[in-house]
Amino acid sequence: MKILFAGDDHPYSAYALKKVIELARNTLADVTILVVAPTSASKDVDIPLSPNHALIQALHRYRQEFIHELGEAGSPYAQERFSYEWKMVKFGLWEELKVCRGARKDLKIRLRAGHPANEILAEAKKEGSDLIVLGCSKGSQCLWQDPADVPQAVVGNADCSVLLVKEDKPIKRILACIEDSTVSQESLEMINQMATIHKAQLELVGLTKDGAAKQVEYTRLIEVGDYYGDRGISVKNRLAEMKEFEAVISKETDEDLLAFWMGKKSLLSVLFPKDWMDRFLSTCQSSVLVLR
Amino acid sequence: MDLDKKTQILILDDEPIVCKRLKPALEKAGYGVETFTRSLEAMHRLTEKTFDLVITDLKMEGLDGMAFLTEVKRRTPDTEVIVITGFATMETARESYQKGVFDFIAKPFKLGEILDVVRKAEANRRQSQS
Repeated sequence: MKILFAGDDHPYSAYALKKVIELARNTLADVTILVVAPTSASKDVDIPLSPNHALIQALHRYRQEFIHELGEAGSPYAQERFSYEWKMVKFGLWEELKVCRGARKDLKIRLRAGHPANEILAEAKKEGSDLIVLGCSKGSQCLWQDPADVPQAVVGNADCSVLLVKEDKPIKRILACIEDSTVSQESLEMINQMATIHKAQLELVGLTKDGAAKQVEYTRLIEVGDYYGDRGISVKNRLAEMKEFEAVISKETDEDLLAFWMGKKSLLSVLFPKDWMDRFLSTCQSSVLVLR
Repeated sequence: MDLDKKTQILILDDEPIVCKRLKPALEKAGYGVETFTRSLEAMHRLTEKTFDLVITDLKMEGLDGMAFLTEVKRRTPDTEVIVITGFATMETARESYQKGVFDFIAKPFKLGEILDVVRKAEANRRQSQS
């Protein structure tokens, strides 16, 4: 699994990093830690920000925390694989540097310059990430400090799953909303990881349209429930009307994780206005996992 | 193409869908692939044929993946083993690496990720044999 953590220098990003560390501890994923310098930063200099810049300081803190938690001797992330690599110093001049990497698994530290959402999406695409993790403000908002709409832009345009972390709270229950779109094997496995890591109760909510659940929806709910039951995960099932989806998620607590599928054929996308996802992300009190 | 010259891969995962996904992708990439969903059947096959690479889940009914990879390495130390698992811990990772596992991949994974690791394992095997 490849995880991209995108952070800025605000507390919600530090909370999100904790979730990345938990995930990495239990999946041994290749992890990239990314910070995006503002659009005004120059792209053709050695380093676009001063070493004292808050974003650079944050990047160093994230690296140190990750290595502190997972980089002990014998760990796949232990910084003990040395190699000599050529780096361009300037046009026409190269220098050979000794580089230290993770023993078995990569921890990449990346800095990009540009619009944060665009750069996060570009990095995820370049790395072939399976999951993007980022923090956002808690409660009835879901924002970054600058620019505010980064979480929505990333969730709305990513090709892979996205975990939005709102608070530094344990996840005790996962509310996975299933509707009539395709549920991929990868997304089933992602929920499996989340439920197992957090020892969370899994509640599958079958979303129905206009009261009547079709046979296929019942069957899917049962099949998905059986999949998790077979893996020793405690599962509860229930049905909810699609139109009441917003009301359902507003009742969640901050110790829940709301998971929903957002494929191209998602009925949620079809039935709700274009801004539905922004509204749901804000309505939801808990962290949100958008699956693809 | 001479089948005997293909790198031979054994896949063991109790989830049939994993075998169903991996087999055609690896065969398309030019590998000879046999899949098993039961560890005892895979173990029996190991007594009949030497595989270049083994891809195994860790958590399975009956003989688990750790015991299976231990047996693979005991029988044929040159066989590279790749572990795929739905849930790993640092302890299981350390134990696996100590037993000679080439790499450890957590689910979910992309087919490209598996193919990359398989190619690296294949190269590593060739290098250690030369």
